[in-house]
Amino acid sequence: MSVTTDRSPTSSFGQPPSSGSSLPPSTQATEVAIDLEQVTKVYANGHQALLGVNLRVTKGEFLFVTGPSGSGKSTLLKLLYGEEKPTQGQVIVNGNAIVPLKGNQLSKLRRQIGIVFQDYKLIPRRTVLENVAFVLWAQGFTRKEIHRRLMPTLKMVGLQDKADCFPHELSGGEQQRVSIARAVVGTPQILLADEPTGNLDPDNSQQVIKILQRLNAIGVTVIVTTHDEHLVRQSHHPVVQIREGHLFRVRG
Amino acid sequence: MSNVLQLLTRSDYLLRETVLGLKRGGWMNWAAVSTVTVLLFLFGMSVQASWQIDRILAQFGNQLEVSVYLDTGIQAADLQPTVAALPEVIAVTPVSKEEAWSNLLQEMGSSEIRGATEQLNGNPLVDELKVKVKGAAEVPTLAGKLKALPGVDAVQYVDEAVQRISQLNQGLSWLSLGMITVLSGTAIAVINTTIRLIVMARRREIEVMQLVGATTTWIYLPFILQGLMLGVVGALVAWGLITGVQEFLASLLQQQSEFIQFLTSASPLSWQQQVTLPLALLGLGCSVGLLGSLFAVRRFAVK
Repeated sequence: MSVTTDRSPTSSFGQPPSSGSSLPPSTQATEVAIDLEQVTKVYANGHQALLGVNLRVTKGEFLFVTGPSGSGKSTLLKLLYGEEKPTQGQVIVNGNAIVPLKGNQLSKLRRQIGIVFQDYKLIPRRTVLENVAFVLWAQGFTRKEIHRRLMPTLKMVGLQDKADCFPHELSGGEQQRVSIARAVVGTPQILLADEPTGNLDPDNSQQVIKILQRLNAIGVTVIVTTHDEHLVRQSHHPVVQIREGHLFRVRG
Repeated sequence: MSNVLQLLTRSDYLLRETVLGLKRGGWMNWAAVSTVTVLLFLFGMSVQASWQIDRILAQFGNQLEVSVYLDTGIQAADLQPTVAALPEVIAVTPVSKEEAWSNLLQEMGSSEIRGATEQLNGNPLVDELKVKVKGAAEVPTLAGKLKALPGVDAVQYVDEAVQRISQLNQGLSWLSLGMITVLSGTAIAVINTTIRLIVMARRREIEVMQLVGATTTWIYLPFILQGLMLGVVGALVAWGLITGVQEFLASLLQQQSEFIQFLTSASPLSWQQQVTLPLALLGLGCSVGLLGSLFAVRRFAVK
């Protein structure tokens, strides 16, 4: 998985406040965004989600992870943002080993990762604008900076006219686009999308993938899990598949 | 240090989240505030009562007199310097038996001093020294010393009532300390529950905050501030109530007999006491609020 890209990892929104010190000195020509080495994850109930998985994603890459439901796709992403710890093996994100990170260190690392969920995880009693701004407040941005970032981000996902709507007033596709806006408003270097099209019709799915591709074009490393083979076939991005805990290379 | 500055510059976030949280708390806020209020009201009242009794006791102590009755034939003026030299003594007033006799007869309504004296074959009284003592605690020792002086027949003082009041005051202090401890526990528990309900109501938001990299402090500080707010509001209400009760009592007292007025209003609260009480209320309110919310948040934050 060493697709070389000439895209720089900067984004159009400017640098996030905590990104300066996180870039490790790279020994390779292409910088590694994500590195999994012999990662095994066995849940407490005995379910073997991942078995000896190796995966390297370079910066600026767009990667599809496919596989049937329950095959371990979500587990893979959870390992990347520290929601789950591997039973064995190393998980390295932007040069930081995830496993030993605790508390605030993990929080700081998560600011470099944007996450899009299948169920959107929007806050019901807050408007679109507040839902997106919420991330920035949570990360401690100043009011001025938050105002500077909000509208460009909403425009990017095409929701500038829905800023004051509540989540329940939006369609599924619109809600998912809010969730993408929320994931990227903090200008993360890595975007993880867990089944972002799982609840959407083909048109909305296409739209979501297009937005993710646009983000990738400005340098964001994107990892998308999906079980929608059709969606994967329409694109030319690298694809890996997880089956029974093992990772297989399909394309790229 | 930079963290503190960061908090200050972003205090609008903290303020907003705190207020929002309190809105979610709804009626539980009232439960919490009123528990704190009851606690602090009782605390404040017992402190005030204790001060009041202390003041009354102090008055007794200052005016506490030992009456020294001399042997027949001994002149009060002769013994006065000896008694005045004792360290516990503030002042000595000699009362000659003639003076005492005429006072007594006047009080009894008899104006014919000479007639009465003749009837009794002379003045039956003895000379007396009225001795003012520094403090109530020194009275018994002084009385002993005076009794031992040559020419002293009897020593009289009234300290029993004062001691009773002092004991009562101590008993009340212990009682109110116990009550305040129990009520503090109750208030902490109620605030704890309130904050936990608010945290529960906002679990989705907290989950999202954790996923987007908000630090634990940043997530939970508003909840701790909410607890603090509940404590502060409780303290303010309690302070208002105590002031109100004080004024009500003062207006009642004006219709009372002079003796009670004399007892209760002779020396007003010192300015230290006037400042100490609200500060103590605020301090106790804040501590209770902080402890309650810290306990509530700890079990969520420590993971």
